[in-house]
Amino acid sequence: MRGLLASVRFALVAAGQNFTRNLAVSLAGVFTMGLIMLLVGGTLLLTHTVDAILAQQETQADEIHIYLQDQLSMRTVADYELRFSHDSRVNGVAFTSKDQAVVAAQQRGLSLQPAINTLGTNPLPASIDLHVRTLGALGQLNTEAGTLPIVDNNSGHATDYSPGVIPRLQSVITVTVWVGSVLSVVLAVISLVIIMNTIRTAVYIRRTEIEIMKLVGAGDWFVRWPFILEGVFGGVLAAAIGATAVAVAYRFVLSQANTQAFLGVSFDGRYLTAMVVLLLAFGAVLGGFGSFLGVRRFLHA
Amino acid sequence: MSLAAVMPPQVGQKPDPGMRPVISFHGVSKTYPNGTEAIRDVDLAIYQGDFCFVVGASGSGKTTLVRLLIREEVASTGRIFVDGQETTRMTRRRLPRLRRKFGIVFQDYKLLPKLTVAQNVAFALQVTKPGQRHLKEKVEETLWIVGLEDKLDTFPDELSGGEQQRVAIARALVHRPRIFLADEPTGNLDPDTSWGIVQLLLQINHRGTTVLMATHNREIVDLCRRRVIAIDSGRVVRDETEGGYLREGEATI
Repeated sequence: MRGLLASVRFALVAAGQNFTRNLAVSLAGVFTMGLIMLLVGGTLLLTHTVDAILAQQETQADEIHIYLQDQLSMRTVADYELRFSHDSRVNGVAFTSKDQAVVAAQQRGLSLQPAINTLGTNPLPASIDLHVRTLGALGQLNTEAGTLPIVDNNSGHATDYSPGVIPRLQSVITVTVWVGSVLSVVLAVISLVIIMNTIRTAVYIRRTEIEIMKLVGAGDWFVRWPFILEGVFGGVLAAAIGATAVAVAYRFVLSQANTQAFLGVSFDGRYLTAMVVLLLAFGAVLGGFGSFLGVRRFLHA
Repeated sequence: MSLAAVMPPQVGQKPDPGMRPVISFHGVSKTYPNGTEAIRDVDLAIYQGDFCFVVGASGSGKTTLVRLLIREEVASTGRIFVDGQETTRMTRRRLPRLRRKFGIVFQDYKLLPKLTVAQNVAFALQVTKPGQRHLKEKVEETLWIVGLEDKLDTFPDELSGGEQQRVAIARALVHRPRIFLADEPTGNLDPDTSWGIVQLLLQINHRGTTVLMATHNREIVDLCRRRVIAIDSGRVVRDETEGGYLREGEATI
């Protein structure tokens, strides 16, 4: 037990000494790794944010307005509202009267008063507004709406469904997720290669130490542990640097995006926390594994 | 005052005929992947308490012999026994235990420049015997034996070559090895300093440790008149109990 505690103490002290004695090389490794962590973290957050923006757009796009004929009784409208509310594809149903349609148009910046004055009547139809569960249901509902007797077919459009928008939005989401995933994997591989080489350089500087340890009869793991602990420490430090930079940049970019571009994306603290934990674990594993591989070459030399 | 100064070197005891050798080579050869035959069909027996010089020109195979002993190299053919254990078939896991039987010094000292003298010596104990009690006392005692008790906190760069080699000897000695291997320990030293180092090795041998010293320092070998194993082109060409660097009557320029 005494021997084990002494070995642990030796490994911890040696790891700390290794790090501080070769501070320049150690810091070069940490900053290289930190930069990679920054890129990995940045890519993760960027993907997540783009995903959130697109999801928001998707939420807004999940609505279809079924334009109604004038002169329908409220009872008929209510019947159809009830019918749609029982449809498994539909998430929510609302009714917009002709007057409400004018108000909504005005809110969007459209002035209909001259048209109303000229025509002597409100040209906008009332509508039943459906929120769908999946975007794929919009096309089906549009087709079905065209056959309903309550629909105003005079305008040529039974609904406001625009079939081109949704597939484009979906393809943007798919591409974003793919690019983000591929970029993360590529960065992870690049970082492993860079880290291995950085640690190999650090280990090469201490090859005499390893040689002496072997010659005086140290076991392989006794030689490895200080280097692995140093790698873990360096990896965590690098991840902390990268994660801090990403977190600061995330807050800044998000506030700019919301004030300048009105994107309306909220700060996702839970995702950021999960990403920081992931980066710290990733840094620890990468640093430890890189050191293990780096020392291995010298142990078997 | 160091032990080296108070106890003069003595010739080791001759082994009993029935005594088991502490090191033995049986038909050992070593051929490197490039085809170089460094050691050829070597048979040797070295006993507890022996002091052996392994002599030969550069490239004759002396260093390979030392590296085979500590399993830094693996014999191509033949068998090597250390303290009754066959090392040629030893697994990697068991190598540390084998190496702890040895104290090893090299021509280039192999000291850690950022550690003090005391830390360099303590390093060997921390590695081989973690949690060792009275570490400081053991280090100080060993440095007293090599005559460096007043250099505990000095760094290797601040020492002379002879002093650095003494630190390396102390590091090799601190865990009380059964066998002491010295590969050209005087190769970088002037004659006076070299003689001081050899006296120290003789002193270590006097305390019961088997010493094997690879050297091409003719003067030292001739002065000591100890066992000489001469190697030429990887073969043992001479093994004398009290020999000189060259065979009796052998001419040299």
